[in-house]
Amino acid sequence: MKPRTEALLRLLAVQASYTYERMAGIGVGHAAAPLLRDVFATRSVRERREAVARSADFFNSHPYLAGVAVGAEVKAEQDGVPGPVISRLRTALSGPLGALGDQLIWAGWVPALIGIGLIAAPWAGLWAIVGIVLVHNVLRLWLTAWGLDLGLREGLRVGGALQRSWLPRGAVEAQRVAAFAVGAALPVVAWQVLQHASRGEVGATVGVALVGVVLSVVPRTRVRVSGLRFGLLLVGVALLALGGLR
Amino acid sequence: MTLRLFRVDDRLVHGQVVIGWGRPLATRFIVLVDNGVCESDWEQDLYRMAVPNDVQLIFANVAEAAAHMVEWVADPRPGMLLTADLATMAALHDAVPALIRRINLGGLHHRPGRVERLRYIYLGEAEEALLRRLRRDGAEISAQDLPTTPAVDLEALLR
Repeated sequence: MKPRTEALLRLLAVQASYTYERMAGIGVGHAAAPLLRDVFATRSVRERREAVARSADFFNSHPYLAGVAVGAEVKAEQDGVPGPVISRLRTALSGPLGALGDQLIWAGWVPALIGIGLIAAPWAGLWAIVGIVLVHNVLRLWLTAWGLDLGLREGLRVGGALQRSWLPRGAVEAQRVAAFAVGAALPVVAWQVLQHASRGEVGATVGVALVGVVLSVVPRTRVRVSGLRFGLLLVGVALLALGGLR
Repeated sequence: MTLRLFRVDDRLVHGQVVIGWGRPLATRFIVLVDNGVCESDWEQDLYRMAVPNDVQLIFANVAEAAAHMVEWVADPRPGMLLTADLATMAALHDAVPALIRRINLGGLHHRPGRVERLRYIYLGEAEEALLRRLRRDGAEISAQDLPTTPAVDLEALLR
């Protein structure tokens, strides 16, 4: 198997050895190992071991974009960049790759696909779920390969290349699509859930939703409670309200 | 005082900082104090990418940060100051002790010679001594990765 293909497949499991000690570091090192073996084929074993150890050091980023870091550090090793500089490159890449990945994937295409799936579900049934899972995984594989190739091409210059690429703009646009898709899905889901509900049940649901909207704009709520806990709390209150009415 | 957070985090600018703290504190500028990053254009390019367009990212070395601290504290916009290690934060505190009263330990991760204190805080002996010295010099120090998690006082952290 070619080193790039092997690295790409390993990147799909980059979080398999996730620990608080090194976060995704071991996964990144594991993915970089076939490429480093190739790069250091004519150099000393000690140099290769040092490079592998460096690549398995602490690293935290978005898993789907970890290929950018793997590619960039392998290219930097190939170019003979000093070890401490490569370590700084890994640290500096963590934040941007995490932020761009969060925006593009967790706040972008994942909610967008969920919204589209929810809109399609009343008509397409289970095929709506199969469709969004397939699309998600095709996008994930393509993004990982794109990131790995970008890193392998650019090395230390990867920051400028990322800025010039489609990614920053794509992250913004993906969030807009997500907002539209989830917004469009809301009335469809509400119609599905409440079409046989009594007026009291509809009133209780709307009341809980309004309380949620009001509390979510209060600064103290945003500081003290995470979005997930806040959302789950509201769902719990809504279920209790509906249960009490039935 | 509008510099609302003085944070030590070896990842510097990342999601916990920009979203986790930045949004609830309504942060409009971030001061990144690091002698190495201050001289590296490609590192600055990368860190800028992790910050939203409406947040200003300022790079400074320790001497520049000490010189501009009064100005940043007087800035009406909410801001935060980041260093990647304790030594940099200690050097800054030594220069302007009255302006840095509270220090947040947000992320010091595994390295050879460090011991786990919290999942996101690993400390070596020299770093523990530095923290005790900073406390003696008047700094209030606690570990807290996100505003939604409880803060751990230095006393409990080193116990």
